[in-house]
Amino acid sequence: MNVLIVEDEKNLSDEIARFLKSEGYLCEQTFRGVDASEKIAVNLYDFVLLDLGLPDYDGLDLIREARSSGSDTAYIIITARGAVEDKVTGLDLGADDYLAKPFALPELASRLYAVARRKFKISNNEITVGDFSFDSHSRRITHKGSEITVTKKEFDLLNYLILNKNKVLTRHQLYEHIWGNILDDQYDSNFIDVHIKNLRKKLNEFGETPWLETVRGIGYKIKL
Amino acid sequence: MPRLRIKLSLFNILSKVVFTALFLLLMPYIVKKISLFEADSTLIEMREQVISLISDIGIEPFITTEAENAFGSYNILKEEFISIEKYTENEDVNFIEVTERLIENENITYRVLNYSFKVDGEKYLLEVGKSLDSIHHTEINTQKVMLLFLAFIILITFITDLMYTRRLLKPLDTIIRKLKNISDPSAYDNRPVKTTTNDFIRLDNALKELMDHIDKLFRKEKETTINISHELLTPVSVLRSKLENLLIRDDLSPEISMQIEESLKTLHRLQSLINSLLMIARLESRQYLHNESFSVNNVLSEIISELNPIAEDSGLLLKEEFESELQINQSNRSLLFSMFYNIINNALKNSPAGGTVIVKSFSMGKGHIINIIDAGKGFSREQMNNLFLRFKNRSENNENGTGVGLAIAKSIADFHDIKIIVKSEPDKGTVFSFIFPENS
Repeated sequence: MNVLIVEDEKNLSDEIARFLKSEGYLCEQTFRGVDASEKIAVNLYDFVLLDLGLPDYDGLDLIREARSSGSDTAYIIITARGAVEDKVTGLDLGADDYLAKPFALPELASRLYAVARRKFKISNNEITVGDFSFDSHSRRITHKGSEITVTKKEFDLLNYLILNKNKVLTRHQLYEHIWGNILDDQYDSNFIDVHIKNLRKKLNEFGETPWLETVRGIGYKIKL
Repeated sequence: MPRLRIKLSLFNILSKVVFTALFLLLMPYIVKKISLFEADSTLIEMREQVISLISDIGIEPFITTEAENAFGSYNILKEEFISIEKYTENEDVNFIEVTERLIENENITYRVLNYSFKVDGEKYLLEVGKSLDSIHHTEINTQKVMLLFLAFIILITFITDLMYTRRLLKPLDTIIRKLKNISDPSAYDNRPVKTTTNDFIRLDNALKELMDHIDKLFRKEKETTINISHELLTPVSVLRSKLENLLIRDDLSPEISMQIEESLKTLHRLQSLINSLLMIARLESRQYLHNESFSVNNVLSEIISELNPIAEDSGLLLKEEFESELQINQSNRSLLFSMFYNIINNALKNSPAGGTVIVKSFSMGKGHIINIIDAGKGFSREQMNNLFLRFKNRSENNENGTGVGLAIAKSIADFHDIKIIVKSEPDKGTVFSFIFPENS
């Protein structure tokens, strides 16, 4: 899938592009609103990552233009403005998601994945890890046919790790994904450890989970 | 301190009392003077009438013959008399004196006007008298009327004064009420006070200008905080994605990975700090939506179920005691979630192993109270004074704490008009009480 990154901070744009390329996306970058407007008019993108705080253009106008031309590109707003009105207007105009800076790159990946699933009707939601299988749509975990009950937070945690498989996720990234940034101030690395501990306990009643690795001093990773 | 209106009314009463006393003291003297003057005027008038009568019809009807050389007349009650007699002295007289007269065997004291005049070459003496008793009688009557009039006037002026001061000072009351009702300069009622008194208009305008000015300064300060925070978030964002990209490379030694994670942790602290300041500034300038209706107990239950695994892991008990339901409107759910989460989480952190944290929800009168009770370390007196101040309350057992958690909780409470009361005793525990406004 191809992504247009509209972000005037070149350093950040480069990092996003580097990460998304490693995730298998095709990336184009543009740093000015005028260029973005042109590119959007000419090319067909699956995703546009849009910084609202462009020096030469109101990002919201770009969405308006695109919507009036009838394209079904998914728009994801990334902004440091973080004003509530921006979020509301953006989503009202038909933006598909909204990420406040600074965000975690794995979080961006999970948002793109969620939007893609919703928008492009990807029906295959089932992922098999070892003897376990996860359905991110029906939110069920089964082991050889028998269902395992986990809490909402535990499922979200596991789902996020699976989505970013083979990458280590820090405790803070996991925390931020599950609690959002409104509880940023309350971050406690212990929270994630407790949840992973409980999750392991529940899964281990059914089978071994060597794929759920603790990376010392950093966080957790699912190795497949 | 008594209010202005009371003071004015008291002065009003006092001045009237003094005035009345003075009047009562002076009145007998004045009335006496007046009635004497009146009596003398009457005497003079009577004299004029007699003289004009004599000049019209001559002296004969009064004094005719040699034998009859005196005329006297008095009315039935002997209050007045007139007498004319031949006058033999050389000297002319015209004076008023107090003297006794014997009339029908009765000694009566009169005020008498003596007047000598000439008719047809003959000299006569006219005496016109008015009894002192009758003069005194008039005097008493005058006094009565005056007293009645005085009482009436005092009553009327007292009532009108009272009503007028009340009316006059009403705009002042309005201004005081306007000042009392606001918690923030921007909330000052901008509508001008209805008054024709220039002083109040000036006072009202001065206050309005002052409030506007303070409000502008507050706004500017908050805007600056918001702008600076935004500017800071972009570089943090760049650093963060660079470090995150580094961390997912698989050619790193565990040592380097851990170094990167350490840097990320520090960066997260910076990010969290900026976001917290941003949040407080936004709360204070009311930039959050508050249009949600929900059950507060529901929010508390959600927090409790989220924190329960953590509490259990540390051997703590987190208990809910909901006595009554609280449904609120015009609020922001995630902000309230964050506020209670913060306080409950702190209560857990401050509790010793085996401790209990109780979340209580109950009504009191028309209001509703949420209590979060722990039996933990408690706060020292010094900590209590700075409890809600930014950066003043960094607790040592929270490695990631930015010291603004309670400041945020307070801002969220203020945003929702919720009052927070904290009772704490070192080593005994703490109770955070959230008092919801009656109409929420």
